[in-house]
Amino acid sequence: MAAPVPPGSIIVADWHRSPESREFFKKILHKKKRREFGLLETPVMPPHLKADTVRYKVFISGKSGVGKTALAARLAGHHIPNLHYETTGLETSVVFWPVKLRENCRVLFFHFQLWDCGENAMRRFDHMLPSCKEQVDAILFLFSFTDHGSFEDISNQMSRITDPSDRVVRFVVGTKFDLFMHTDVTESEITRFQEVWGVPVFRVGGDVSGGFGEIAPLLNALAENLWHQDCVHASSASLPHVCHPEDTSREVIV
Amino acid sequence: MLQAETVQLLCLTAASGVPLFSRGSSKQLPFSVIGSLNGVHMFGAGQGALLSSCETERGSRVVWRVFQDSLMLIAVSGSGNNAVSKLHLHRLLENTWNCMVLVLGQDELANMRNVERLKRELRSCYRLIDRLLERRGEDQGFMGDLTHCADCLLPSHPAILQQALDSFTQAANSEFGCLLIQGRVALATEKWWRLAPQEVVLLSILVNLLSGVTSCDYPVFLPQGSPTVAHRLLCFQLLPSAFVCVLCGPSPSLHHVESELVGCFWSPVVETLRGCLEQGERSPLPPSVSLRWDVQALLLINRETRRSVGACPRARSHPSSEAQPLSSPGRRWELLRHFYTFAVTRYFTSEEASTSPDSSTSATAHESLHEEFSGGFTHQPVQCYLVTDECKCYGLQTPQHQLYLLTDLSVPTFALRSVATHTLNAVTATTGF
Ligand SMILES: Nc1nc2c(ncn2[C@@H]2O[C@H](COP(=O)(O)OP(=O)(O)OP(=O)(O)O)[C@@H](O)[C@H]2O)c(=O)[nH]1
Ligand SMILES: [Mg+2]
Repeated sequence: MAAPVPPGSIIVADWHRSPESREFFKKILHKKKRREFGLLETPVMPPHLKADTVRYKVFISGKSGVGKTALAARLAGHHIPNLHYETTGLETSVVFWPVKLRENCRVLFFHFQLWDCGENAMRRFDHMLPSCKEQVDAILFLFSFTDHGSFEDISNQMSRITDPSDRVVRFVVGTKFDLFMHTDVTESEITRFQEVWGVPVFRVGGDVSGGFGEIAPLLNALAENLWHQDCVHASSASLPHVCHPEDTSREVIV
Repeated sequence: MLQAETVQLLCLTAASGVPLFSRGSSKQLPFSVIGSLNGVHMFGAGQGALLSSCETERGSRVVWRVFQDSLMLIAVSGSGNNAVSKLHLHRLLENTWNCMVLVLGQDELANMRNVERLKRELRSCYRLIDRLLERRGEDQGFMGDLTHCADCLLPSHPAILQQALDSFTQAANSEFGCLLIQGRVALATEKWWRLAPQEVVLLSILVNLLSGVTSCDYPVFLPQGSPTVAHRLLCFQLLPSAFVCVLCGPSPSLHHVESELVGCFWSPVVETLRGCLEQGERSPLPPSVSLRWDVQALLLINRETRRSVGACPRARSHPSSEAQPLSSPGRRWELLRHFYTFAVTRYFTSEEASTSPDSSTSATAHESLHEEFSGGFTHQPVQCYLVTDECKCYGLQTPQHQLYLLTDLSVPTFALRSVATHTLNAVTATTGF
């Protein structure tokens, strides 16, 4: 597991705010909402703005009710359910996210496939967890700011699900941060956790205004760390030249 | 007891009447009422009587049913003129039980070990049950919950897609595959059609819940075919509103099917799929079927295959100044549901009974569904009609089909029969449905 890279070191930070990104972000919108992509579709750019797509599998892990399904909906720009309906199986949703690399100014579409499995379904059916871990690239460990137990459980989960030798990007995400009045988890606990585990902690929650601002930090960090992880791997496998991990199996055939 | 058009659903343990859950109307029934509803059923049982339904003076209805001697479901509908039909409530109980089996399996429900545990487990069924109670599909013409026939869409050029579906299903190590377009079954493999009709309907409802989901792997128990062993339902959103589903055993993995098979089998036919979606936007019937301009809506059931197809034209094909304005599709679907209920409970009663899965318990439940059709007649009615101040309705039954038709008031009543016959022929001859 590579150490996390500082935000903005590999990709252009806040690129979604820059005018030159508009053409790319337009492709993931439809009538002011996020466009839904079926499996047979990808964003198609005009030839002079051609951007490659790189695919990653992201597993969302956490106790029942912490907000896994809500987070997937938030990142994918779908309607976030108000009620907690247990997810009775495994669901994936796709997020396309354009990113500009600092090094060579290349633009890439990151294709994140978010894997969300209801915790109770995972306990009842043995094949769920292995299926989520199969060829996974990143794991988001979720806790809820309103449930201290879910925070305490994070360290267990991280050691249970991952092994230090795994090639996996790990982030922790605290949900329901909007309910700070009822928060059970303190800032100092979070700081200490980050120091001990060396894993960044993100905070999400609240209404979605529809802009990219609230999801950009997490998606950019994912993109940056996944790209970095692939570069480190590519160079340690002593491939010729620097890093072109997208030349391997990740290229999408359109 | 409750407001009109609202339904409350209760689940209790059959032996001791412990409440397990209550869903539906926001205003819950008081505990004492729930206790009495259970009590009166138990009292009947003690006297060797099976209480299955009752109606209050103001049109409120209660139906009871015990499943597997272990759980009792009770549905209570609100009073008012727009009362919910008894058929609807009976179906609701049956569908609810099937949902519970689908998610949890029959063993969990029938061999209750710990009530508190079961209560917790049952929460996982709420999403499906609430969907049944919301009746959200009704104004888009979904009727499978009522008819127990799969809501279908008939694609113009099925052959090429059927081939893709068959080979995709086979490659996924399965014989059960299905393509849903806008929530309706456009195609399925032969084996999929051999699932119990309620299962086909239920699986479609489950897939239609997947908003925003790109693919899924859901463990499902089949209420009739495999109530104690779970299968895996894998679904893939090929294009928005186009899902392909397969039922599998332990392998292959979701990741494998999605990354290795989906693109390989479906990319070559993506344009055909798009065409199918465009057609579905207009009507579940292919454009080659032309309906008379005064047909407002129709439901056609194939009695052998237990499939149904509906149509509710958006606009008149031949605009005419005298024609009455079309009411909203939602309203016409609603009228069609009412007419279907009217016809199968009074006249086409054999239909009603033949759709039941377990004849022993349902025989009693269903007898009470039938309104008395002139006692003493031994023959089966094959046609019926109804004239309201909104439209005229005609029901037609042949050994193979049932057609329920809504027409303009301008159609002379004596001509309804020939309009219906003509419509039936027009659809079946063109589509082979
Ligand atoms: N206020 C607030 N509520 C949230 C947030 N995230 C999730 N919730 C609520 O928390 C409840 C549970 O969220 P889900 O996403 O369904 O939980 P889950 O982790 O998917 O649970 P399982 O599928 O049972 O494993 C829902 O009622 C959500 O509306 C948040 O950031 N803020
Ligand atoms: Mg969930």
